[in-house]
Amino acid sequence: MLDAYIQSYNQAVFETDKPAALDVVNQALSDGFSPEDIVFKLVIPAVELMMTLIEKDPDANLAQHFMTAQIAADVTEKMLEKFSKPPEMIGRVVIGAAYGDLHSLGKRIVSGCLKSLMVDVVDLGTNVSAEKFVDTAMTENAQVIAVSAMMVHTATSEKGSLGVRALLQERGLEQQIKLAVGGAPYRFDPELYIKVGADAWAPDGVTAAKVIVDLIREVKP
Amino acid sequence: MTTITPNAGQTASQASDMLATVSSDEQTLRVLLKPHLSVRQALDTTDLRVRAACGGLGTCGACLIQTVSGEFNPPTLAERQKLLPEDLAAGMRLACQLRPHSHCTLYLEHPAPHSAWKSLDPTQLYHASGNPAISEHFYGVAVDLGTTHIRLSVWNRQSGRRIGTRYSINPQVAHGADVLTRLNAERLDVQDCRRIGQQAREAIMDGIRDILSRDMGEITPVLAALGKVLIVGNTAMLTLICGNSGDSLYQPENWQSPIVCLPTDADAWRQIWRTPHADIDIAQPLAGFIGSDLLADLLATGITEQSQPMLLADFGTNTEIAVWDGTNLWASSVPGGPAFEGVGMRNGLTAEAGAICKVSASGLQTIGDAQARGYCASGFIDAIALLLDKKHLKPSGRFAEPPTEQGFLLQADVPKSAIFASDIDIFQRAKASTAAAMAQLLALAGLKVNELDRLWICGSFGQHLDLNSAFRVGLLPTLPSERISLLANASLAGCEQLLLNPAGPNLLNEIVQRARTINLGGVFEYENRFIDNLRLQPMPIEEFQ
Ligand code: B12
Ligand code: FES
Repeated sequence: MLDAYIQSYNQAVFETDKPAALDVVNQALSDGFSPEDIVFKLVIPAVELMMTLIEKDPDANLAQHFMTAQIAADVTEKMLEKFSKPPEMIGRVVIGAAYGDLHSLGKRIVSGCLKSLMVDVVDLGTNVSAEKFVDTAMTENAQVIAVSAMMVHTATSEKGSLGVRALLQERGLEQQIKLAVGGAPYRFDPELYIKVGADAWAPDGVTAAKVIVDLIREVKP
Repeated sequence: MTTITPNAGQTASQASDMLATVSSDEQTLRVLLKPHLSVRQALDTTDLRVRAACGGLGTCGACLIQTVSGEFNPPTLAERQKLLPEDLAAGMRLACQLRPHSHCTLYLEHPAPHSAWKSLDPTQLYHASGNPAISEHFYGVAVDLGTTHIRLSVWNRQSGRRIGTRYSINPQVAHGADVLTRLNAERLDVQDCRRIGQQAREAIMDGIRDILSRDMGEITPVLAALGKVLIVGNTAMLTLICGNSGDSLYQPENWQSPIVCLPTDADAWRQIWRTPHADIDIAQPLAGFIGSDLLADLLATGITEQSQPMLLADFGTNTEIAVWDGTNLWASSVPGGPAFEGVGMRNGLTAEAGAICKVSASGLQTIGDAQARGYCASGFIDAIALLLDKKHLKPSGRFAEPPTEQGFLLQADVPKSAIFASDIDIFQRAKASTAAAMAQLLALAGLKVNELDRLWICGSFGQHLDLNSAFRVGLLPTLPSERISLLANASLAGCEQLLLNPAGPNLLNEIVQRARTINLGGVFEYENRFIDNLRLQPMPIEEFQ
């Protein structure tokens, strides 16, 4: 029944046409579909479809990632307010840009994708110290710390994810809290995530959401 | 007051220009000769230079060239003194005296040894009136130390005469295309850092020597009488040339605050340069990532003396942008990314011979008409605009039909005309970060695009740029071309003004007082603008009304 909407919604997301995608959602709402249906049958499948498409298609570009994440996050957020009962969350992630790094866009896409997959996201912003990452993950009972770094020196610095790893080790938290990283330098060197002590990395936001959901499931079966 | 004449809109060739085909035993070049330039002056801007040891007055006799066909001015007095009648009769001429009256063919038997230095067109540079108060060490040098290029000029500060201009690739490029990679290289070890800084110093002196040897015919005495060297540049380059560590630039706290760049070893520097009396002066940058090159641009264009709103962008590895609202200046910089310098693209080139610099429905045009070796920024922007018009490319940045492994060949028989999806992606990011920054600064200043009296495009980026293509892809706000000015050597022109105009330092100070530096990393709406501007389409209309 949502088929016609699904097709035009996917088309709009694929073409990075945000107004068109929002039109589809509004149309579906005014045609009487529930917010739950819109999130679970329209938005989430679209994110998942993008995941498979992007995996198969090395040419998928940044604009598409952004739009998928952005539209999905926007719509989910709006719909969540209208849900009849709060949905069950998969888990919780603490995300931020590494110490010394003011690039916030990468983590924004990742957050968008995570939110639309029903993951709770605690966003610490940019220029976040290793202590703050770990302290917050502890108080918020998060399963994953996600550190975004757009520059080589912030990715490899002792104050970035290496620092997070050291603290997790020191506090004996390595079984409860996993560490994911991402950002431009990791795309140039796929082995870099190991060197900075991370458990996983992803080249783009859509894959990142998948990788992080997998990490959550490792900790919280 | 602006004493320079920018190119309005386009750098079109004129009907009065003559086309010269110049050959040596190694290469053949086609050069457009402007009526006010001699053959030597025109060739000085290319890879194929004549030999020379005077300022083109016809006194050294080194610039011999053979005319093969075409019509020319009659031999000058200098030529009749320097050349034998039979040589003149056989078509030998002095290139510095030679001006063609028709399209022509020339042969250069003994070109100058190959060099990376080329002359700049001085018409867009500063006109100085001279300062009789300077009684000794009256030579001066202005330097624009860019991430990718070095531009410089040597002056007689007393008479206000420019002795010569040069530009060349910055040898530091070898250490990394972008500023941070270079700082990173430096960070690894102190020796490296020194070496990179030394390299820039050596390059500058090399350029000065090229001018002195070719345009004056003497070096040592002039160096001894050199009283002042003034350097503008981006903060990272200035930090390195001063021999300082770049560590402070890594701290986000310093991104927005002024950074002091002073040479750590001025005496040793002078000694190596053999310029005992030279006051080596660094024009201080505005902030961590806003260099004094932007300040020099502002000085050259005179924007801050206007009551009308204006926008200035200096495109490069680090693109610096300033908006003037009539009272205050809003300045920032974005990593345009090496994308605008051709780095990172599969078939990317700087604007050098063989670079595809213009693309239209009728075909490709390369610099120097040489065989196509890849795209420089202007050619790539044209190509994207064309692909969009032909619907081969969608505004999302995706190809309508996925190209093959060879990429999308813009011209079937030119493999180097291939464009890959990843190139488009890199370009989209660079474009988005730049266009979003312009929109953001305008918004902060409370201005709309259509209120702009003028848009200044500084840096060599604008040299070949087709404005309609830039509008089409959304890199520049769409404005009537008469409200757009291109000024390729603005930073050098500003540096010259600072060197030669006694009021220069005060003017600079006023600009600094009016400037607010904006850290776009901390502006939330900038994120949204970045995302919106990823699409390849004219800038969103909201920014206009
Ligand atoms: C936009 C931008 C900026 C904006 C940032 C705005 C903002 N609010 O984020 C501004 C203008 C502020 C900026 C500033 C600077 N920047 Co900048 N910037 C860029 C640019 C053009 C795009 C980066 C971006 O946001 N991309 C969008 C994101 C979404 O894409 P992405 O990186 O591919 O991210 C994806 C994946 O990596 C992954 N991912 C990201 N994070 C995470 C996290 C996890 C956990 C996981 C699993 C996955 C993941 O998912 C994302 C979505 O698909 C890049 C160039 C480029 N080609 O990347 C330069 C770039 C990153 N910047 C660079 C530089 C040098 C700077 C500056 C130092 C210089 C300057 N003058 O501007 C300052 C530094 C400020 C600071 N201290 O942080 C360099 C870094 C070079 C290096 N060697 O490290 C780059 C690479 C440009 C270049 N080539 O010179 N920049
Ligand atoms: S005589 Fe022509 S350059 Fe000296």
